[in-house]
Amino acid sequence: MAEAIAEGFLCPICHKDLRSPGNLIAHFQDLHSEEQDILKSIKDFYGKAKKKILKLDEKDLEIFRNEVRLERYYLEYSEPQDAGQIKSHTDYYKAIRRDRLDHRTAETNKLVIRLDRLLRFYGSDRKQQEQELVAWLDGTTVTRCPSCASSFNITRRKHHCRLCGSIMCNSCSYFLTYETAQTIVAPVHTNNGSESQASESESLRICNHCLDMLECRRRVQIEQMMQPLICQLYNHLQTVKSQVQNSVETYHKVYNSLTSGERTYLLQDAQNLRTTIAKNAEILDTLSKKIASMPIEPDTPKQHNLQNSIRKATSIYIKDYLLTLPAPPTVEDLEKIRAEHAMKVVEEDYVPVMRNNIKKVTVTTGWTPTKAENESDEDPLIEQMNIVKNYIDQARQAQRFEEVVSLQENLKMLKETYMQQQRVKANEAV
Amino acid sequence: MNVISAVKAYVLKMTEESEPGMKVLLMDKETTSVVSMVYGQSEIQQKEVFLLERIDSANYRHSTGLRYLKCLVFLRPTAQNIEALCNELRKPKYGAYYIYFSNIIAKADIKVIAEHDEQEVVKEVQEFYMDYLAVNPHLFSVGLPVCFNGTSWISTALQRSVQGIVSLLLSLKKAPLIRYQANSSACRELAGRIDEVMNKESSLFSYGQNGQPLLLILDRRDDPITPLLNQWTYQAMVHELLTINNNRVNLLNVNPSVSKELSEVVLSAEQDIFYAKNIFMNYGEIGQNIKQLMDQFQAKAKSHQKIESISDMKNFVEAYPQFKKLSGNVTKHVTVVGELSSMVNKYYLLDVSEVEQEISSQNDHSSHLQSIKKLLNNDKVRNFDAVKLVMLYSLRYQNHSNNDIAGLINVLKKRHVSETLTKNIINLLEYAGSHARQSDLFNVENAVKITKRFFKGLSGVDNVYTQHKPLLHDTLEELVKGRLRESLYPYVGNQSNTGRPQDIIVFIVGGTTYEESLTVHSFNKSYPSFNILLGGTYVHNSTSFLEEVEYATRNTSRIHTRNIHVRFE
Repeated sequence: MAEAIAEGFLCPICHKDLRSPGNLIAHFQDLHSEEQDILKSIKDFYGKAKKKILKLDEKDLEIFRNEVRLERYYLEYSEPQDAGQIKSHTDYYKAIRRDRLDHRTAETNKLVIRLDRLLRFYGSDRKQQEQELVAWLDGTTVTRCPSCASSFNITRRKHHCRLCGSIMCNSCSYFLTYETAQTIVAPVHTNNGSESQASESESLRICNHCLDMLECRRRVQIEQMMQPLICQLYNHLQTVKSQVQNSVETYHKVYNSLTSGERTYLLQDAQNLRTTIAKNAEILDTLSKKIASMPIEPDTPKQHNLQNSIRKATSIYIKDYLLTLPAPPTVEDLEKIRAEHAMKVVEEDYVPVMRNNIKKVTVTTGWTPTKAENESDEDPLIEQMNIVKNYIDQARQAQRFEEVVSLQENLKMLKETYMQQQRVKANEAV
Repeated sequence: MNVISAVKAYVLKMTEESEPGMKVLLMDKETTSVVSMVYGQSEIQQKEVFLLERIDSANYRHSTGLRYLKCLVFLRPTAQNIEALCNELRKPKYGAYYIYFSNIIAKADIKVIAEHDEQEVVKEVQEFYMDYLAVNPHLFSVGLPVCFNGTSWISTALQRSVQGIVSLLLSLKKAPLIRYQANSSACRELAGRIDEVMNKESSLFSYGQNGQPLLLILDRRDDPITPLLNQWTYQAMVHELLTINNNRVNLLNVNPSVSKELSEVVLSAEQDIFYAKNIFMNYGEIGQNIKQLMDQFQAKAKSHQKIESISDMKNFVEAYPQFKKLSGNVTKHVTVVGELSSMVNKYYLLDVSEVEQEISSQNDHSSHLQSIKKLLNNDKVRNFDAVKLVMLYSLRYQNHSNNDIAGLINVLKKRHVSETLTKNIINLLEYAGSHARQSDLFNVENAVKITKRFFKGLSGVDNVYTQHKPLLHDTLEELVKGRLRESLYPYVGNQSNTGRPQDIIVFIVGGTTYEESLTVHSFNKSYPSFNILLGGTYVHNSTSFLEEVEYATRNTSRIHTRNIHVRFE
């Protein structure tokens, strides 16, 4: 028998390779503590070798160390971290605002209610009706218009606000057309535009203060209902984007599953998904272009910036997240991967695979005759399995891969139950 | 303790809290810097923030509104900002407002704002503590180029520094013990004020923290050497020669012929992998790495040139985003390194640096005097570098019986160096001469034999390994070994030593440097159980440092330099 020549950090007593001088010394101290002189000689020898190998003067060693260390100095990408301390003033803020705004809201609501009545009750004597609803201020002591301070006389007469009853001159009066008033009371029928000329007969005389409050309310309402085109386009864009996001996530899952040799998904699945993503990317591209080229009113550089920004962000998204997806493996690649994977599985799960085979064998051999009978009045389990198979096909076509996975699991379970049942029957038959 | 991540987390929370929809981010000058240090515009656009506005810009008030946008407001809680915000809310330009203040705000101010919100547009009012600039994961700055007036604080700068550090502590959830440099009244004052805020806002500062962190406050004047030296690692070198301002480098200043898209380049380790990898690399190594990057780029470009089949085309389109990114980075770094190397050659910076390094770490008066005189006679050496050499000499040999500071200043005068520069030699001695220092900056026994080496790098640039170690290195070494003397670095109030701290925040009043940043980074790498964070009122290079010195000594008379017989107009 030819003795092989071993090399490495061998223990001189048991000839074990310990791979490093440190290990060797430790090994020796632990197991061969009685052989102290050998230990000493190992240590000496190692010390000498070290000196010989590292025959550099200290200075060079220092520089060398510096260099090696500098190699390591770079900045890693910062890992996400939890946000630090936070203090919220929102509740306090809202409490203050509520106190202040309650008053204003109540006032506005009062005005709206009055307006509603004024509109509803017009009939015989309008002036009387109006005064019944709103107490008009007694004008006897008022000599000047409270808002513009001009004195009243024959040419500058006193007028009353129909909503709060206060006094003002004609030039300080504002007129609310019935049409506008209607929209304020019942905002559902908004017919914006069509501002008819405010003539006294078709409109209500009101003061600046009341008009301000009503206008404010109306503006808020209109803004709530109006949704400019850009918002609609943007919402559409975001919906498509979130769909794409889902597809991308699924694609990664499918891709990883395929390249690791699993058979849960078909190659076709990956290809279909990729086509869907590409189609959606195109939609995103078109939508963002549409947003960017939307007409802008003059003097609104902000809107222009916004539109360009959305376009830019979308194209970066497409470039960085959608176009960088790995291509699905080719048929040959996939075959290779699967073959390799199969080998591995066989090696790893050798015993269980064998057992499975045995099971199958007993089932098929034991039950060939009765199986034909069964086929006539289909076993409910088989029927169920066929249905599930059908579902899987459908789900696959609809690219609902999560369902495919769960259905396939169902199918597997059904198969197992079916086999068990068959086995039980076989035993009974025996 | 990563300041970049801390700020990013807050900004992310901001964009997420406001629910989906198009957003505009309304900021002031300082908060714009805070955000731009960690997020690029394209990155923040992915979070639906499509517009960035400045509340303090002249035409903002009269700009049109877009009511369908949500407005994220991120402001410092200053009086002007609160007034501007009230005006904004009275006539809101946007549909909804989410307000975030970068620091602690008074209740009275909240009340004033609430009273102006008549249309109920505000949805959130919160404090998100990011009142500092996150420069690198372990480095932050308050962004104050000057903070001293004479030997004491400019009061607004003190206030701003307190706010900066308080917000830093809150953003990292730390409530540290505080130590400060004993001989510096500025350090003592800052330490006291921070302690005061921590006590006053004790509920904010109560969070479960592991171990007891430490805040160590130092004074720049204890080490005036480090900010004067020429630097040879990438980030420090770029800052010294080209100046980095909020991650941006203006190349137009140094080279008017530079192309338009490169007139200002962004150097951000978060967005530029090449920069992140090379940020602490030596000059020569960067040269090699740039060459590699270029080869890689050329290989890619070549493969793109022969697009013959459909599949070639497809590959091209697929690789295009990375290709574009790569090409942008290549041109950027090639240009930057090109500028550096032309300056190094033009101004004999290797020779200058060699003498600088010798003076900083050796004690040899006559030979140093000779080397300096030799360089002063070289008219290729910049006046600025000449003055810095004399400064280093003066700092080291200030108390040497035969020193020739006056003589050297006269040589400078003969070179027609401007008086502001020469006068700054005296200013620096008044600012940070031996009277102002408590540490042994020129420890003679420690001065090892100099081992500067110049290696020929591949791409023709010399590699330089410098000998100088900032004073901060020794201070940290003593600190992690538990040997930092309490008499020199006392605790604030009745606090006292309770074991060795793992999390250490060092703050340098008067500004820190990128050389010290590298020191801290290497410390963190070699002592993984410690976590050190460095900050300062500013990140100085020699130019900005000398501006601060000049400002601080502007109205003071000569006290410590009367023995130097030079006259200035």
